[in-house]
Amino acid sequence: MAATRPLTVCDVYDRFVKGKKVPESEWDYTVIPQNATKLKEKYKLKFGSETIPEDKQTMNNLFCAGLEMLVETGYYCQDLGRVMKVTEEEVWEGIKKTPTKLILGEGRDIARFYPRHGNSPVKPIIQGGPTGSPISEEVFVQVMQSYAQEGIVDDLVNGVFTSIEGKKAKTNTPYEIRATMAELRATKEARVRAGRPGLGV
Amino acid sequence: MTKFGLKPHDPHEVSQLNELKIDMSGLNMIAGWMANGDVIMMEQMPIFGGYSGGKEETAICDVATMVASFALFNCDIHLDGPIHIRWGTTTTRETLQIAAHACAALDRNTDLLLGNQYYTLAGPCTEMCLLETAAQSMTDTASGRELISGVASSKGVTQDRTTGMEARMMGEVAGATAGMDVAEVNDVLKKLVGLYERDFSHAPAGKRFQECYDVGTVLPTDDYINVYNRAVRTLGRCGLDLSIF
Repeated sequence: MAATRPLTVCDVYDRFVKGKKVPESEWDYTVIPQNATKLKEKYKLKFGSETIPEDKQTMNNLFCAGLEMLVETGYYCQDLGRVMKVTEEEVWEGIKKTPTKLILGEGRDIARFYPRHGNSPVKPIIQGGPTGSPISEEVFVQVMQSYAQEGIVDDLVNGVFTSIEGKKAKTNTPYEIRATMAELRATKEARVRAGRPGLGV
Repeated sequence: MTKFGLKPHDPHEVSQLNELKIDMSGLNMIAGWMANGDVIMMEQMPIFGGYSGGKEETAICDVATMVASFALFNCDIHLDGPIHIRWGTTTTRETLQIAAHACAALDRNTDLLLGNQYYTLAGPCTEMCLLETAAQSMTDTASGRELISGVASSKGVTQDRTTGMEARMMGEVAGATAGMDVAEVNDVLKKLVGLYERDFSHAPAGKRFQECYDVGTVLPTDDYINVYNRAVRTLGRCGLDLSIF
């Protein structure tokens, strides 16, 4: 049956609220492993010795298995303890709505995003950064500058302040917010120092 | 929004939970960013050896998770990162295979924008860290990823143990791999992964940023440049030529 429209995040919330209640341990230890194994057997998936698949049938079977995993199993909201369902048609509507071209950053520092297919001769976007690794206050700007100044880097990803003004940047405290704001200021300074103020982050 | 804060064209990152789960804070962040027209990057790192089980089962969950990012949560880019339950890294033989298969499955059937993130076992200023990074970069590039993100060296958990030199390796390897025949990439990977996986149980911690760079000039030390050049020569012996970079 055709979907009425792509789902919004509010539609997803509404479905969670009306969804079936399932204990989280049952989801983790029973629903996920049993359904994944069932689909592995249904689609006869067995990876060979190659890291990257060269067999198109394996790629297609894995895609079908993953799509069926989402549609048949549904999706779990940890806070509500409930499972929402989605149809295959709604999944495809969501995929159709997703942008396939994006621009990250601004000015002369933009990175253009296009789909690559297979091993395209165009390299992927290089997002350089500590990827959430803990960085001390004293060297945060320099660490981020070390990425921003690399010519091969197209975009940045932050590290995380472990402290702020000598206090631990503890989760769910005002210090966490102050540390986050300080990270943003430091990352801006690092981009300016590297001569690339418009790099996306 | 502050003058130095994220702008709509910066990727706003939110996480799914393992496996096929989310919490209310994730939904709420997405609702705000959607209303503001922000670029949304959704991440999830499926665990090999965790709830889903083996390689194929983890790859099935990975595909389902990626599709959910777009179809349920309105994101623009999915940031993957299959991770090994024993080693806590993305560069093991099994997790590279899971990432490559899941990406190739979506790449063949959609135009979605797919990324992957890097967590190495070894720390900065070691050849092992650079070889781990190179193996994943080859894998991601040849399986069709649009973005690669890193590197969280030392598994991303030790203070000040990440530097721009690891990102240089990630990017230069991607540039050299792009356009290569996939069978040839697989041949290189067989040699390359075998070189470092035997050292997982005693991976070198490497050095802190302050020991890898001159903090005043933000230039890498001669020591790190030498380690980098040694890794480039090792990659050349495996069949990947970085000499044009």
